[in-house]
Amino acid sequence: MSTENDGGLLRSALSSEQVDRTFDFCGRHAWTLIAVAAVAGALPPVFGLREGYYMTVLSEMFLFGVLALSWDIVGGQTGYPSFGNMAFFGIGAYVTAILVTDAALAFPLAIVGAAVVVVVFALINGLIVLRLRGHYFAIATLGILLATQQVSRNLAITGGASGKILLDVPPGIVFYYFFLGVLVAEIAVVYYLSQTRFGFVLNAIRDDEEKATAMGFNTTYYKTAAWVLAALFTGLAGGAYGLFNTFINPQTAYNGAWNVELIAMALMGGTGTVAGPVIGAFGLHTVIEVVETAFVGWQLVLLGIAVIVTVIGYPDGVVGTLREYASEMEYYEYGGMAAAEADDEPEVPADE
Amino acid sequence: MSDSTATPRAEAETVLRTDGITKRFGGLTAVDDVSVAVNEGEIVGLIGPNGAGKSTLFNCVTGRLTADEGAVFLQGEDVTRWPEYRIARAGLGRMFQETRVFGGMTVRKNLLLAAQEGGANVSGLLRRPDDSLRARTTELLEYVDLGGLATTQAGRLSFGQQKLLEFAMELMAEPDLLLMDEPAGGINPSMLENLIDYIQTANSEEEATIFLIEHNMEFVMEIADRIYVLAHGERIASGTPAEIQNDQRVLDAYLGRE
Amino acid sequence: MAIAQFVVNGLLVGALFAAVAVGFALIWGVVDIINLAHGEMVMLGGYTAYWLLSVATGTAEGSVLLFLATLPVVITVLFVVGYVLQRTLVSQVIETDIFLTLLVTFGISIAIQQLAIQAWTANPRSIQVAFADPSMTLGGLVVPKMKFVAFGGAILLTVLLFVFLQRTRTGRAIRAVSQNPEAAALVGIDVAHTRAVTFGISSAIAGGAGAFIATILNIQPQMGLIYTLKSFVIVVFGGVGSIPGALTGGLLLGTVEELTAGLISSQWTLAVSFTLLVVLLVVKPQGLFGTEADQ
Repeated sequence: MSTENDGGLLRSALSSEQVDRTFDFCGRHAWTLIAVAAVAGALPPVFGLREGYYMTVLSEMFLFGVLALSWDIVGGQTGYPSFGNMAFFGIGAYVTAILVTDAALAFPLAIVGAAVVVVVFALINGLIVLRLRGHYFAIATLGILLATQQVSRNLAITGGASGKILLDVPPGIVFYYFFLGVLVAEIAVVYYLSQTRFGFVLNAIRDDEEKATAMGFNTTYYKTAAWVLAALFTGLAGGAYGLFNTFINPQTAYNGAWNVELIAMALMGGTGTVAGPVIGAFGLHTVIEVVETAFVGWQLVLLGIAVIVTVIGYPDGVVGTLREYASEMEYYEYGGMAAAEADDEPEVPADE
Repeated sequence: MSDSTATPRAEAETVLRTDGITKRFGGLTAVDDVSVAVNEGEIVGLIGPNGAGKSTLFNCVTGRLTADEGAVFLQGEDVTRWPEYRIARAGLGRMFQETRVFGGMTVRKNLLLAAQEGGANVSGLLRRPDDSLRARTTELLEYVDLGGLATTQAGRLSFGQQKLLEFAMELMAEPDLLLMDEPAGGINPSMLENLIDYIQTANSEEEATIFLIEHNMEFVMEIADRIYVLAHGERIASGTPAEIQNDQRVLDAYLGRE
Repeated sequence: MAIAQFVVNGLLVGALFAAVAVGFALIWGVVDIINLAHGEMVMLGGYTAYWLLSVATGTAEGSVLLFLATLPVVITVLFVVGYVLQRTLVSQVIETDIFLTLLVTFGISIAIQQLAIQAWTANPRSIQVAFADPSMTLGGLVVPKMKFVAFGGAILLTVLLFVFLQRTRTGRAIRAVSQNPEAAALVGIDVAHTRAVTFGISSAIAGGAGAFIATILNIQPQMGLIYTLKSFVIVVFGGVGSIPGALTGGLLLGTVEELTAGLISSQWTLAVSFTLLVVLLVVKPQGLFGTEADQ
């Protein structure tokens, strides 16, 4: 699956050493970079962007960043690609909506309530699906997403097919900072974990779950932890979204197309990396917005095509391809030639 | 079906003992009442024709399979029904026939992951690997002549290099007992020499106790202190390499006369 | 009595589910791909029949025979669509990560869905087949004639597929590829072509089922996903690669759905189906009739 085709264009623009050094730099100054990005994100409202279309777009970009990165925790880092993450989103949205309208709870409390419900749901849900692998896992998560959607559609407490309308909502700027805050927090958490053994184990599960078990890791425990973490962030995002959007219904809350969108974002940016899903989210969301305004109705067609192209042509995504490119030199400098010449003659045993 | 006269050193501690392990798959009895023992500091070989049940026995020991009858004792504790990860955590390391490493991670990460210290407690997991750990990974990489490849993706290594990495990972973990499944498979003679060297050094310097399955007779005879022979799921012989080489039953089994 | 009626309704519609599922099972068994765009083939089949009839009669109405005459066209068109999709797009991801194959077919599914919305609007449509007397009564149970025709058509398609796989040269090639692609290549079978043919046949049958569905239910651009998932339920239940399994599964699923709709409420049928999906995946991923793609 290596990207031997990341050829001419990249090579002519940047040398692999430059890319390698950039990665090094980012690695060494990661925390500073995160802080800088957080501050940069916090600035636009300070400079006057307090409402309107562009602020909404930025807020949604942060939102998708959270969703894509959350998906990636389980999909990219742990190797369990879920097609049903939006279930957490929807539940978060509905619980918040119900708490705010029916129980007249304040927004912050409602969100906390939603988070609790989502975590419990994730634990139960995880017990069921995390024992499955590959195809079965993916489809099971999709099944749960759709089943949950159907249930929401049929119950009175969730407002049936029309959902719930929320009238008394905080101003847009609150959501801007909320989504930004959750995104920064999530980036920090995911980055930190990726440097610890917890993160290593997740990657090990992705690469070879049986070997990880044989090495002494209780993979169920790790998978569940990752799953709940992803659910938590997704649920928080969903919780805020209901209010942000002023209404929520089964279609928007459990949006299967969004689920594919966020997978595409993670994939395009580069799964299994911290920056990848965020970059992918920002990039793809912007493109889709542009298409939506210029060619109404075609944005999902674009999404479908974008997914196809990425999967076939660039499965490693932006960050992944760059990383492959950066480490090329290194491999050939050491080992590459020596390795190729020394070992690849299979030994035919003299006896049995 | 009686054993040879050589007995394991009674004073040394028995790290692994299996007691009448039997494992069936449908109508086939893959392992039939097999008892073996491995003592501290030994290198014990497990040989036999293809289909003799060697890998199945290994799987019963590691917990990937559960024996239908019999028991497995690790350091005196009955681990027969323990889940695989728990047995591994208790000090049992395993190397795979097809050589498995974590291809998407760097070589260094593979090694860092292999270190068992910190156990399962949460704080250990959430701490970043400290410098002494990193130093040890560098040390081990140098030891198996893979130094310089620390930041390479493990999946890019050649088969032989991956085998060495897998071995280094086990050394990192410092298991009480290391199970090796056909370690000599698929590598050229010069690397085989190196591997024998590494294994013997690990055994003498670090008291590594090793139990290995192997088809390469020269390799086994050179490296093992004692050997068990399985055929058709049954243990048909045990003893020192010299004794095994002269055992008629063993020859018959391999030449198909059983 | 009411339950018997529900059961009959269920069997009638279940046969259609089975016909759709059978193609899905075929692709899964032979090409080892879970085709998330399978439902879109059903949708396209329905629309093809709809437009053919509209062109022929000016409205989407006609006699049974006229409708049946559209079938060969539908089947051919969908065969081509399936063949081309496999040959150009899906084949690129065949040996890679399972996740990527799922994603590519999902991408195709979305693209087709949305293009359909753009082309034909999201309004549901249906084909009205004219009968002097739309239903018949058998043993006290009401059987709408068109549903009966659809039932017959679905069973026929399924049986034809089964026979095709057993008796024809292409069918044998398909079975060979499903069991061992390398060996098949060694004996001179064009594996890429065979896979594409499989995709084509599967899409063709799904399209045919879609045409029938247009007459007894309705069609709209986003109906596909539900059929894909129902196919998944059926195949997981019946066993990958088993046609009898898919048939049984389809009939059962249809019955369960109709019973749910009748005894509880039609609102809950989808919820029940999806829950069934998850339950089956957890409990019995090998299915009832076998694990291998042996046919």
